[in-house]
Amino acid sequence: MGINLALGQITAVIHLPIFLDTVGTVLVAGLSGTWVALATGFLSQLVFTVVSGNFTWLWFLPVQLAVAIYAGMSARLGVFRSVPTTLAGGIGLGIVAAVLSWPISFYIFGGVTGGGVSAVITALRGAGVSLGWSVLLGGLVSDVIDKTVTFLLVRTVLTSLPDRMKARFPVVTRALGRA
Amino acid sequence: MIVGYQPGTGVLHRAHPFTTTTVVGVAMVLTFTLPSPEGTLALVGVYVALAVLAGIPRVLLPAAIIVAPVWLFLVLIHAVIGDDPGRALVFGARITTMVVAFLMLLATIHPGRLVDALVDRGVPFAVGYLLAATLQAVPRLQAQGRAILDAQRCRGLRVRGSLARRVRAIVPLAVPLVLAALAEVDARAFALQSRGPGGRARTAITPPLDTTRDRVVRWGLVVVTLLAIVFRIVG
Amino acid sequence: MSIELEQVSFTYPSGAAPVLRRIGAEFAVGQVTLVTGALGSGCSTLLLTMAGLAPHTTGGLREGRVSVLGHDPATEEGHKALAGRVGVLLPMPWTQLSGMAFTVREEVAFGPANLGWPRARITDAVEAALHLLDVEHLAQRDPRTLSGGELQRVMFAAVVSVQPDVLLLDEPAQELDPLAAREVYALLPALAQRHTVVVATTDLDRAVSVSDRVLVMDRGYLASDGLPSDVLSTLPVVQSGASTTAATIAYRAGCPAPFPVTVDDLAVRYRR
Repeated sequence: MGINLALGQITAVIHLPIFLDTVGTVLVAGLSGTWVALATGFLSQLVFTVVSGNFTWLWFLPVQLAVAIYAGMSARLGVFRSVPTTLAGGIGLGIVAAVLSWPISFYIFGGVTGGGVSAVITALRGAGVSLGWSVLLGGLVSDVIDKTVTFLLVRTVLTSLPDRMKARFPVVTRALGRA
Repeated sequence: MIVGYQPGTGVLHRAHPFTTTTVVGVAMVLTFTLPSPEGTLALVGVYVALAVLAGIPRVLLPAAIIVAPVWLFLVLIHAVIGDDPGRALVFGARITTMVVAFLMLLATIHPGRLVDALVDRGVPFAVGYLLAATLQAVPRLQAQGRAILDAQRCRGLRVRGSLARRVRAIVPLAVPLVLAALAEVDARAFALQSRGPGGRARTAITPPLDTTRDRVVRWGLVVVTLLAIVFRIVG
Repeated sequence: MSIELEQVSFTYPSGAAPVLRRIGAEFAVGQVTLVTGALGSGCSTLLLTMAGLAPHTTGGLREGRVSVLGHDPATEEGHKALAGRVGVLLPMPWTQLSGMAFTVREEVAFGPANLGWPRARITDAVEAALHLLDVEHLAQRDPRTLSGGELQRVMFAAVVSVQPDVLLLDEPAQELDPLAAREVYALLPALAQRHTVVVATTDLDRAVSVSDRVLVMDRGYLASDGLPSDVLSTLPVVQSGASTTAATIAYRAGCPAPFPVTVDDLAVRYRR
């Protein structure tokens, strides 16, 4: 639950130039499956919104929920078993997330959601790309990087969990393809 | 937390939590339905004024910090590069209204009070509790994150440098954090199990007052919002 | 007897080996009973089992018979029947906060309110509990701003405010400085007159003087059970390190068993 947020804090300390706001959701999907991940995604998006005081976050709740479902299915299919499959899964999630955030960013926020993505979008726009495409392309670039790193990170955490901890979670062995 | 509950005696503090929630929720709807740009801009004025009247002008500074970069990029994209400054104005006004209204909510409602009000209306206690407890766990987990980071740095973990190194650095931070969070969730479950509700209904110690004025304001706002939606569709 | 344990074993879902092995014991009102032993010997789990939290919340497998005030706390009916009658104080007091209270007074009222008591009864119980634990001066504070020691006493008050028949206390003085710890232990004999009090602690030096009985746990087995001066003065217990500092000093100094358990006993022995 609070894991998402605490990880967000750690990310901030390490100055990663990406969001990684879905690490907790993906991690919980790999530990406990889709339903718990959905609850985690819902709660953490709410908590992110409250803690940052930035209401615009809450509009992206559908994306967070989609991430939970996608990650839950990935875990079931054992996507975290190797680095290449994890990479592929992360890129896929990036595309899904970008496509889903596009209408929210475009219609509700006029393409601006703050941070690094807005800079990318502005640059594309300056290069003569239409606003719609700029928002989609900007989202794709940042989300694919963000979600790939997220998936790799979660794989590393899952594999380095002590066996005693793994035994507590029904999904881990399957997510790592060792069922 | 950028804005937490700020004790006070203003209009919104005295109102029933549902009234405040309605006032804030209505802003989110009206900002998309009022005729733009006049109505959208006027709404910003109304909510900024309300923040001052309610005795919480302090929320306006964090609100400005949050919306400033958004305005910057909106102006860049729509007015400087594009040729539609009006759009920048409307989108900027909408985001500003949403942020200001939401911060007012955070500043005037204690999460515990909101849960009390929800339980009072029949929402299961466990649902309300989960929300309140999660919010409460946040500062502690953040502190724990910092403590783990400090501890691992003391043991020589390097958190600067190349991207790959930074990503690798997250693992020795994330694993203890996950384990600690899980242990804490266990302990919380114990607490709720032993001190939480038994079979009988919970006694609200200081039930939030729901006055006639609260109800009138709530229904009035709902009617105004519905009218705005109707005019938007018809007009 | 308010608590009866018969052939009780418990295994956590993650563990291969049982943490409790065929424990048999009885607890009654009027006594302060200490449960002690090395880390991992099963003291905390024994309390969780009596509270029903194990296996109700932890999962895992319990065998044998547990009867608390005539109910099995692990069953759904027992859990309902025992709501508010068994008070549990756990270590890490900050994890026990309700998160629903502005003030310490409301935090202490959280348990009674959940039991659906009338408001007047809640107020009386809360004030009595605040007074007992000497935290009245904190009543208006935000619980999240308290120090560890203050918080531990507040949470103790929160457990007492429910007016339970059984008090299960796991390291109730862990966060306290030596003086405050002594004060908290000094409350126990009075509490024991109306409650069944069971305390899991490794802080024997302070706890032993207020206790009537000690259980020593060893790798899940109940190793010994009896009067503190009998149980803690034997050679095997002192050698295993599960006794008081006074007994250990006497053992190291070459005293013959039985060893003096308290500093006072030790002083008497040396004066001779």
